[in-house]
Amino acid sequence: MDRSGTRNFCIIAHIDHGKSTLADRFLELTHTVPSQKMENQYLDRMELERERGITIKAQAVRMQYSPVEGEVYRLNLIDTPGHVDFSYEVSRSLAACEGAVLLVDASQGIEAQTVGNAYLAVEAGLTIIPVVNKIDLPAADFEDTAMELADLLGIDPAAVLAVSAKTGEGVKDLLRVIVQEVPAPSGDPELPLRALVFDSTYDVYKGVIAFVRVKEGVVSQGMKGLFMATGIRSEINEVGFFSPDMISCQQLEAGDVGYISTGIKDVSRLKVGDTVTDQRKPADELLAGYQEPKPMVFAGIYPINADKFADLGDALEKLKLNDSALTYNRENSRALGFGFRCGFLGLLHMEIVQERLEREYGLELVVTSPTVVYEVETRDGEIVYVRNPSDMPDPAALKEVREPYVQATILVPPDYMGNILELVKERRGIYEEMAYLSGRRVEIRCRLPLAEIVVDFYDQLKSRSRGYASLDYEHIGFLPGNLVKLDILINGEPVDAFSAIVDRSRAHDYGRKITQRLRQLIPRQLFDVPVQAAIGGRVVARETIKAKRKDVLSKCYGGDVTRKKKLLEKQKEGKRRMKMVGKVEIPQEAFISALRATREETPK
Amino acid sequence: MRLYMHWPFCASRCAYCDFNSRVTGEDLKVLYREALVAEISAWSQWIGEEKINLASIYLGGGTPSLMEGEEVASLLGRVLEHFRRECDAEVTVEVNPADWSARDFEQAREGGVNRFSIGVQSLDDDMLALLGRRHDVREAKDALRSALDSGATVSADLLCALPRVGRLAACDSLDDVLNSGPHHVSLYGLTLEERTPLAKRVKCGEVLLPTEDEAADEYLALVGMLRQRGYEQYEISNFSRLGYESRHNLAYWSREEYLGMGAGAHSCLAGQRFSNTPSILRYIMEIEAGRSAIETREPLDEAEQEREEIMLGLRKACGIREELLNGRQDSIAELEAMGLVERQPGRIRLTPRGMLVSNAIIADLLPSTKEADTNMEGARCA
Repeated sequence: MDRSGTRNFCIIAHIDHGKSTLADRFLELTHTVPSQKMENQYLDRMELERERGITIKAQAVRMQYSPVEGEVYRLNLIDTPGHVDFSYEVSRSLAACEGAVLLVDASQGIEAQTVGNAYLAVEAGLTIIPVVNKIDLPAADFEDTAMELADLLGIDPAAVLAVSAKTGEGVKDLLRVIVQEVPAPSGDPELPLRALVFDSTYDVYKGVIAFVRVKEGVVSQGMKGLFMATGIRSEINEVGFFSPDMISCQQLEAGDVGYISTGIKDVSRLKVGDTVTDQRKPADELLAGYQEPKPMVFAGIYPINADKFADLGDALEKLKLNDSALTYNRENSRALGFGFRCGFLGLLHMEIVQERLEREYGLELVVTSPTVVYEVETRDGEIVYVRNPSDMPDPAALKEVREPYVQATILVPPDYMGNILELVKERRGIYEEMAYLSGRRVEIRCRLPLAEIVVDFYDQLKSRSRGYASLDYEHIGFLPGNLVKLDILINGEPVDAFSAIVDRSRAHDYGRKITQRLRQLIPRQLFDVPVQAAIGGRVVARETIKAKRKDVLSKCYGGDVTRKKKLLEKQKEGKRRMKMVGKVEIPQEAFISALRATREETPK
Repeated sequence: MRLYMHWPFCASRCAYCDFNSRVTGEDLKVLYREALVAEISAWSQWIGEEKINLASIYLGGGTPSLMEGEEVASLLGRVLEHFRRECDAEVTVEVNPADWSARDFEQAREGGVNRFSIGVQSLDDDMLALLGRRHDVREAKDALRSALDSGATVSADLLCALPRVGRLAACDSLDDVLNSGPHHVSLYGLTLEERTPLAKRVKCGEVLLPTEDEAADEYLALVGMLRQRGYEQYEISNFSRLGYESRHNLAYWSREEYLGMGAGAHSCLAGQRFSNTPSILRYIMEIEAGRSAIETREPLDEAEQEREEIMLGLRKACGIREELLNGRQDSIAELEAMGLVERQPGRIRLTPRGMLVSNAIIADLLPSTKEADTNMEGARCA
């Protein structure tokens, strides 16, 4: 087929700026989805996506569009997640496109992530189509938003399109502009095959399915495929595209976007970003891939019921099939039993994994406080990566502890600038520069320890700016910090689940809060129980759970010994389910509540 | 053999009570009494052809003093048509101070009752009102006096760990009660039962209960005061002058056999525990139809009997045989070091402080049941 009629594009938008709704309008106008089957957020298939109004998983959909009779275009829309946790998915999609619709909410204006992603698109050489959405809203300010976009991209404000994805206003024009402006894909179908794997999913019957953009050559059914980076050889069992369901076809040519099914059963073997070629006529060089997403936030996930450990393992394995960024390793906690240390892209990713495990697999879980990965240099020059605070080497053996930092961009209206600068300072941020974008928005650039933003930084940002501030960040590696490991000891025994790595200046405050909370949550024992927070051997906070004084049944009505026996048996049975820390009996629920509270009360 | 008879009726329900008692009309009481006597008669025949000796009889409730002294005497007379009372048998009736005059006490005494258990609860009028008791302080004192005048043994029931109302503390009530000279005192910590009117008032913050520490301090102070005045503690809640322990009550903790008659009454006989239906109507119907009113049964194997011996025996001041806790020497040594347990030659017992936390100690020392072990094994394997 002639590729002059093909347009590959994606939509770049901040969360809630209407990307999925715009995609819905495209599907309707191109009759890709019959109107009677249409529903909101059509491409977000996951229950969780629809509920939260977010896109978690990228989608690629092929649409037929004919602006005038006789002219037919093939539009490939690559839908991407909008949240910063999933920003690596954006760069994947960019690599599969020639154009990007930059969508901005007319009532919200440009947000930090829009800027970040727009720069990524420009750098990737994509044609940008600036669009202001939600012009139907009473609070819409098209003129100002268009001006901001024009400033950002260095273009004429008149080039900015106005649409309402909700009502459909302007969407036809937008499709016309996409066809006009976005270049047709180049790439020679006669050359050896080179196709970029930009995502993958798993199907029980078909095995691993790779989402591909064919850059050069042709991929066809039955071809012997070779994944160049990993060296995996596999027959291409099926070739096809999404419209929006999977539709198989004979072949995909240079310029096409679609899928190939491989028969590979182990999803972890397939690397997103790899290049597929033909074993018989292999290409010489890989396509420029992109960095594999690395988990940045770690937390222990434990089943509340120890019997469910194996189920949790199975569920994680299944989730991983469609979520290559998720990592997990078995670990054992004294307080919580057997579980997994899991790695996530960020906090939203963590919440999503937790919710999917609970919802789709019916598991009841305890999740420990999230932590970042620390780079630890020991005195003998060894470098260790610590993903669980309890794995931190002895303080005496440490030379330096480094923590991951991000380069953050915060956009905020000038009125709230002071609040945000204060927040940055509180969170150990290193302020760098500030610039006014139009009169409505200030851009603050700073470096922040990742540990400070993984927990509630985003909520704080929103609450201190009445919801107007937005954040984008990229990882910039490890920087040394003044960090210590804080242990929590109950009756002199350290309890791993509560260990934390914190900035030295906050260790005392944090320790005090945790010990106070545990004092309230742990039931009184027959003896006094000290609860201490300690750095190395030095106690920085201490509380005492006073011994139990009264626990007695008094009256025995009319010889009803059975009632008393039952109560005592119940108490006995309850004791057996307690977690023992030394001689102290602690109900699992106390640990869980303490952990939940701790997650909300991270080191500050 | 010992006999318990349950009189499940009350004139009104106390604010803290969730026990098997009903406020009802006279007709039902007559039917109930006939059923009770019929059940006693039937049991005496089942047990043996010869009349069985009774070492103690206890008429509890509910409120048995809703019967007049004379009625109690006649009920007792009908019981003794089927059983024989031992010459020194202890015969107790529970009495609400609002109900009986001196004459009732005398008539009951003449009918063979030799021990009265008076439900004083408190000697503070505000507290009595809060608890929903039908009597006031004056009536309580009169009842104690009349009971003592009748020449019987007298026990006063008192509540502790009570809400903070009124001007008087529990030790003031106790002091007042002791001044009247009872032979025996039962001291019960108030247990807040769900769905009682008092529990609701506590829940909404209208009534404030003492903290755990306050209640513990109060209990220890009361125990000290009783000891000083010559009342020895022989069980967690029971104190008496020498020789006036309630033998019927002790029998429960010593795992002696007893027969419980009436709606909801519990028995321990021939190696099993069983209890009657708590429903008064169902009880009357079953008995009238010549059937048994038993609703629950629990056979006790040897292991369970030993567990009971530990559970119940540790409530007593004399404690339990040391060999029952063989293999638990470490735990016992720890509890001893904490001052909660005392060793005596061949026996182990709780100290007054230990008694206050007896649930925790018993739960600690009690061997697990076989089923519990099996369950835990299963959980570990999976």
